[in-house]
Amino acid sequence: MRRFLLALLCLFPLATQAAGPNGVLETGQVLRGRFVQQRHLKGFSAPLRSEGRFVLAPGKGLIWRAETPFAVTTVITAAGLVQNVGETETIRLPSARLPFLARLYDMLGGALAGDWRALAGDFEVTRSGDDEAWRVVLSPRRRDDAGIPFRSIIAKGARYVETVDIAKADGDSEDLAFLDQALSAGPLSADEARALGTLAK
Amino acid sequence: MSRVFALLWLAVVIVAGAYLAWRVDHGLAFRTDLMALLPREEQDPGFDRATGMVSRALSQRLVLLVGHTNRARARAAAAELTRRLESSGLAEITTAGLDEDHLHKLGALYFPYRSGLLSDDDRRRLQQGKGRELALRALSQAYGFFGLADAQLLRNDPFLLMPPFFSGLPMPLSKLALDDGMLSVSDEGATWVLVAARLTGEPYALDLQRRLTAALDLEGLRTADPGLKLRRLGAVFFAQAGAEEAMGETSTIGILSTLGTVLLILAAYRALAPLGLSLLVIAVGVGTALAASLWAFGELHVGALLFGVSLIGVAVDYSLQYCTEIFAAEAPPAARLRRVFIGIGLGTATTVIGYLTLFLAPFPGLHQIAAFSAVGLVAAWLTVVLWLPRLDHGRRPRHGVGMLELAGSVLSFWQHPRWHRLRLGLLGVAVLLGIAGYGRMQTDDEVRRMQALSPHLVAEQEQIQRLIGAAASSQFFLVQANDDEAALIEEEALAEKLRPLVAAGALAGFQAPAQYVPSAVRQHDNRRLVAEQLAPLLAEHAARLGLAEPPPVADQDGPALTLAEVAKRNGALPFLSLLVLAPGLHVVTLDGVARPETVEAAADGLAGVRFVDPARQFSLLLGKYRLRAAGLLALSALLMAPLLAWRYGIAEGMRVMLPPALAVSLAPALRALGGAPFTFFDAMALVLVLSIGVDYAVFCAETSEERKRVTMLAVALAACTALMSFGLLALSRVAAVHAFGATMLVGILLCFLLAPMARRKE
Repeated sequence: MRRFLLALLCLFPLATQAAGPNGVLETGQVLRGRFVQQRHLKGFSAPLRSEGRFVLAPGKGLIWRAETPFAVTTVITAAGLVQNVGETETIRLPSARLPFLARLYDMLGGALAGDWRALAGDFEVTRSGDDEAWRVVLSPRRRDDAGIPFRSIIAKGARYVETVDIAKADGDSEDLAFLDQALSAGPLSADEARALGTLAK
Repeated sequence: MSRVFALLWLAVVIVAGAYLAWRVDHGLAFRTDLMALLPREEQDPGFDRATGMVSRALSQRLVLLVGHTNRARARAAAAELTRRLESSGLAEITTAGLDEDHLHKLGALYFPYRSGLLSDDDRRRLQQGKGRELALRALSQAYGFFGLADAQLLRNDPFLLMPPFFSGLPMPLSKLALDDGMLSVSDEGATWVLVAARLTGEPYALDLQRRLTAALDLEGLRTADPGLKLRRLGAVFFAQAGAEEAMGETSTIGILSTLGTVLLILAAYRALAPLGLSLLVIAVGVGTALAASLWAFGELHVGALLFGVSLIGVAVDYSLQYCTEIFAAEAPPAARLRRVFIGIGLGTATTVIGYLTLFLAPFPGLHQIAAFSAVGLVAAWLTVVLWLPRLDHGRRPRHGVGMLELAGSVLSFWQHPRWHRLRLGLLGVAVLLGIAGYGRMQTDDEVRRMQALSPHLVAEQEQIQRLIGAAASSQFFLVQANDDEAALIEEEALAEKLRPLVAAGALAGFQAPAQYVPSAVRQHDNRRLVAEQLAPLLAEHAARLGLAEPPPVADQDGPALTLAEVAKRNGALPFLSLLVLAPGLHVVTLDGVARPETVEAAADGLAGVRFVDPARQFSLLLGKYRLRAAGLLALSALLMAPLLAWRYGIAEGMRVMLPPALAVSLAPALRALGGAPFTFFDAMALVLVLSIGVDYAVFCAETSEERKRVTMLAVALAACTALMSFGLLALSRVAAVHAFGATMLVGILLCFLLAPMARRKE
């Protein structure tokens, strides 16, 4: 169950992506870039750090490909989430089993189109700064909502989202940095299209 | 003297009436489930009790699925239904236990024993020496997209073996997921929320059905929000729809047959008195029979009541015999009664003998029918004999010549030498048709086809099954062993054979106690596998995770989780109470059984495991009863024979038995020619056909040369009323009732047409 709840978090970079004033993506556009993810866990000597590349295609989904320390590929679409290590599928979560995943996908769709109402229903959204350096803080409206196990998400960026910091209720935290982002209007590569297709029903 | 008897009978009827009124005032108890009418065979009482408990528990389940395009509204409606169910006191909510608190309890229960708990898939990988795959999977979750693993879990369970065990626990509703405390699924833009409950009472009790409907008030919810979609699943809904359908049909058919009978009697006699007299006879018969049966049995089965009441329809024959006598030579009522006295006396005696044979069979349901019918018939006969002449002031009517001519023509066909060859020819044709019919005859005992399941509910059921995953099947496995551990080991062997069947689609899923609590042997083996396969990887794995103090690998000798331990922790696994009936007596419930034979074969070679299919067992039982009903039919014919032989001598007695015997043997053959299978309900109809046929034959044999056309007219009227009360049942949409009615229709026609054969030729 916990895994399901955490899957919820997966979608937030997408939402915050759209939080940038200039960041509303249009269908047909593809955002590609690199990421650095660090998880700070209590009882672990060092943060779990992974790096890799991502591909975000509005209306189609997200490919999250960690390259170091392991090649782990996660694909999220409206149909659900699937994770592969090499050729081995390790996790598959169809969204029919996760009503909130579908709900989140709806919110995400709204946010990408510049519509904040869906997101604002569940989160307090505080925006500050200007187009050159903005900051968005998301905090759950209900502290006791078991479906949203974090205290806050802080996203910062300019044209694109640049960093995301997530503080979890149990004291652990995660931070992400997005680098080398580039927006293109071109179609997905065959490889990318295939990856997004693995979740087709 | 007869005056004294008439008064005595009046006293009895008044007492019966008063008792009946008192019982009705206190609320009559009727049973509606077919199972109660035909009890199980007591061959293995322990097994029967266990299967009875499971079937009962399964039949008490009910599921409501609430759908709306607006998630909040669906959730609000589900909460409202939950509240209504709870406050009604009719059901316990079973969805309530699936909140976050419950998950914590589950975690607390399993956590100390985690080293012995492995998902099937993980166990197989360790058996295949693929420990590294599990380590890699844990790493991918720790490092992967936003870390799908929680840190606290990683510290205690670095190979992340618990999450697969949890997600591998067989949750009966496979497509549902917990959405903020409510089990939900989204489908085509709508959110569906589940409300599951267990009835505290009998789903077949009419009273409970009514109270449940009122408490739920689904119509009210629908009216308040037309966008709301409500789907129901559960034996109680099917039982209620069936009862409503049967009642609706019964009242339609009842009104039609009553109207038809009234019109027929009015048209035949052109007077009100015969109608009043006949109704009096029926009312006294039914009332007395009902009072006597309630007194003797305490409660009545609706089936027994319906069959019994229809049988009383036979009683009207005696009053018609008497009333029709008015068309014969002018005579005072007492003299008219004397003319038919022996005929109706013999008729009653043979019929009562016929029904009393039902007492020889050890079926409580049939006992009720037998007692009801016998008391009713005797009461009707007493009323005709003791009261009718006193109440009757009729005079010979002027009309009736045409009717008598018509009735006489049936008689003369059998009597006049002119028709001899045609008679022989027709009999030959009948024999040929009979042979052809028996050649084509097929039997059918499939109980599912006997009931008319509401098509609405079937559609709702299918939709629910599609949305939430397969719903519970009525079939299950019963596991009997010396103790829990032995039963768990049997279940693990069974699960091994069922898993490939799930993959092949023979069934959708199953729930065995061993999946929640593996046997101690399995838990120790799991620990061994973990120690052998994963312990050597631990240091390297912990280093890659950056885990400073990796937990020790499972100690090999600690205690294993037992069912007794789970029972002490009340509430962690609430559904185990359905699966564990007693120490060593377990149930494996099944979801979406598509190929019962394949699933059943999984129990082969497992000594303590038996496949139970209540519907099929019930069908087998119906088949057995069908044969027994046929046997009883033969027996009651045999028992009637001495009475007829005493009255007519052996040769003439056989002549009297010929028409009913022909009718009883030809009716099912003719039905078979029409393509209908022979069922238990056809056999029960033949029991009635026999007694009606003997009545008609006796009336024809008893009549005098001067009165024979009058007697034939009375038989014709009796046949018409019987056709109207039973024959109309052939219109029923309930297959069982239709079969009963159709066989009655054919049988009564034959009885009527053949009855004059009983009369010696001029």
